[in-house]
Amino acid sequence: MTLPEIREAVSVALEAIRLNFFRSLLTTIGIAIGTLFVCLMAWLLYGLDTSLNRTIASLGSDMLYADKWDWTGRTRWTEVRSRKDITYWQARAVIEGLRTAEFAVPLVWARGARISAGPITTTDAVVTGTLSLYGKTPSGTTAAGRFFSLAEDRSATPVAVLGYKVAQQLFPKQNPLGKLLHIAGIPFTVIGVVEQQGTIFSSFEDEQIFIPLPMFVRLFGLTKRSFVIAVKAGSEERLELVRHELRGVMRRVRGLAPEAPDDFSINEAQAFREQIAGLRQAVWGTGISMSMLSFVVGIIGIVNIMFVSVAERTYEIGLRKAVGARRRSIALQFLIESALLCLVGASAALAIGNAIALLVRAAIPGTGEFLTPYIPPHHMGIALVVASTAGIIAGWAPAMRAARLHPIVALRHE
Amino acid sequence: MDTPLIVLEKLTKVYSTGAEDVYALRGISLQIRANEFVAIMGPSGSGKSTLLHILGCLDSPTSGRYLFRGRDVSQLNDDELARIRNREIGFVFQAFNLLPRATALKNVELPLIYAGVPAEERRQRARAALEAVGLGDRLSHRPNELSGGQRQRVAIARALVIRPSLILADEPTGNLDTASGQEIMRLFSELWSQGNTIVLVTHEEYIARYAQRIIRLRDGRVESDTPNPEPLSVLVTAEDSHDIAGNS
Ligand SMILES: Nc1ncnc2c1ncn2[C@@H]1O[C@H](COP(=O)(O)OP(=O)(O)OP(=O)(O)O)[C@@H](O)[C@H]1O
Ligand SMILES: [Mg+2]
Repeated sequence: MTLPEIREAVSVALEAIRLNFFRSLLTTIGIAIGTLFVCLMAWLLYGLDTSLNRTIASLGSDMLYADKWDWTGRTRWTEVRSRKDITYWQARAVIEGLRTAEFAVPLVWARGARISAGPITTTDAVVTGTLSLYGKTPSGTTAAGRFFSLAEDRSATPVAVLGYKVAQQLFPKQNPLGKLLHIAGIPFTVIGVVEQQGTIFSSFEDEQIFIPLPMFVRLFGLTKRSFVIAVKAGSEERLELVRHELRGVMRRVRGLAPEAPDDFSINEAQAFREQIAGLRQAVWGTGISMSMLSFVVGIIGIVNIMFVSVAERTYEIGLRKAVGARRRSIALQFLIESALLCLVGASAALAIGNAIALLVRAAIPGTGEFLTPYIPPHHMGIALVVASTAGIIAGWAPAMRAARLHPIVALRHE
Repeated sequence: MDTPLIVLEKLTKVYSTGAEDVYALRGISLQIRANEFVAIMGPSGSGKSTLLHILGCLDSPTSGRYLFRGRDVSQLNDDELARIRNREIGFVFQAFNLLPRATALKNVELPLIYAGVPAEERRQRARAALEAVGLGDRLSHRPNELSGGQRQRVAIARALVIRPSLILADEPTGNLDTASGQEIMRLFSELWSQGNTIVLVTHEEYIARYAQRIIRLRDGRVESDTPNPEPLSVLVTAEDSHDIAGNS
């Protein structure tokens, strides 16, 4: 196939579409809708994944959390509820027993405490008791100020490190560092603010106030609380090793008989991946099946219109063949026409899809945190490739019919 | 140049249209040399067009051999025939057969596109061909802006532009008035005198008299094959040819 032939095929195809512009537009609606579904699906999944990766990064990909609760929700709810709390003493024993981990640190939460800063009072924040080491995990990394020190830990100094949202809520438009804060009536000095961590999967991280564990014990006591042991493995490669040890130590500390099942869960950030696997699948399933349906309908429409196009131009095909056009030249002309038809539809769909992306972000609060205001470009690229492939598939049979026309028979047709 | 341009051996063509077979050609054997000007005549349905289509590689014979420049082309496939049509044979139809939306220039360029000739050379050659048929001033006219005679000249230019070794024409004057027909015939005559080989189908005796040799068909067979010792020359004036037309 030579360049002049290819250029001729393209210009003939363009002219054919231009001459029947509205007909072309109508036949391409199915493809357009299919493309729109694919793009919106890709856009949603892209948003979900972005958010998910941020969640995992903020929790730390090399972190394990030994907890009474199962984050994946795979263990039966009734079973989880019947588990005994992890006590402070158990947590300490586990942390002391671990050998392979980089470090481990206890976490304990109290909800509903009355918290006030100047005129503002809230009971929404979660007070988290932990140790200075927590400042070395991704979730304890400060954006401003610092995490509390070992000395402050030991001496039960009343200092607090705020989650991103709490900081905004209690100290709107102010720098919270050095300010005073009352937790259950006791004054604390704010010494740091943690980086924003929350995503659609969990806003909880940003609603915490971290205080030294001894202070926590003094305020809320130790009973009726289940501790979580945050374990930093050191690297993702060490996760398995550390998990294995952690499980053994937990079982020993909890005094489980060899045949008894675990009465705790070892959670990790990856658990969120499993959690949204279902959501992902639902989005995928809907998107793919809707777009497949539209594509099938679209392809049928285009096959039809391409046969019409071949019939309308039989004489022209005869003439081109009479002066030496080979089968592939004629076939190419029609394949390009149907591919272009689909590309027109797909381009319209991309324009609409991008408009929807912008509108949704603007209209629904909160979506801006994880959705991009445009369809991800590589997905637009994929959509265009898929659409033109659909066009080529749709154009195949008509193009072959055109290519095989006998020149004399075609010339007589009119 | 001793081998004839065209050798036909017992060529037959049978159309099978459901109920009964139509024997369009029943064994044609003949030879045509380079730079001959042949007219094919015969009653309607005698197989003239069928023969010309096979000569022009637009169709394949049912049996028999067709040697074109020494090469057997009777069993070639679609694309191989297309290549010969594209490079070797200029075909002129009765109904002009131009692309209606394309300019004269674009119409004449068409075969060159499929020969892979680059745009610039294509335009030059197409313009030269249109000038050769006296349409140098009509390059950007579309078929519906041209007279019948002019359209047929465009078609002839399109046949010429590939520098064919054979020009075929099926009743090229059939859709034209006498004067335009004469002009077209003078053009063919001139092309012949420049060394082209021309085979032309016609119903009309006065058209055939431009040719050097007249083959008459009847019922798919060659009825007669006679030389025309004094073909009408290019130099014959318009009035003379009107007389001839009137007398025939
Ligand atoms: N495609 C076809 N299918 C069936 N029969 C055909 C076909 N083409 C031609 N024929 C038959 O073949 C015979 C020869 O036809 P052809 O067109 O060659 O005649 P012709 O000499 O050119 O006649 P005319 O002077 O009317 O153009 C006719 O009987 C015709 O009906
Ligand atoms: Mg005929």
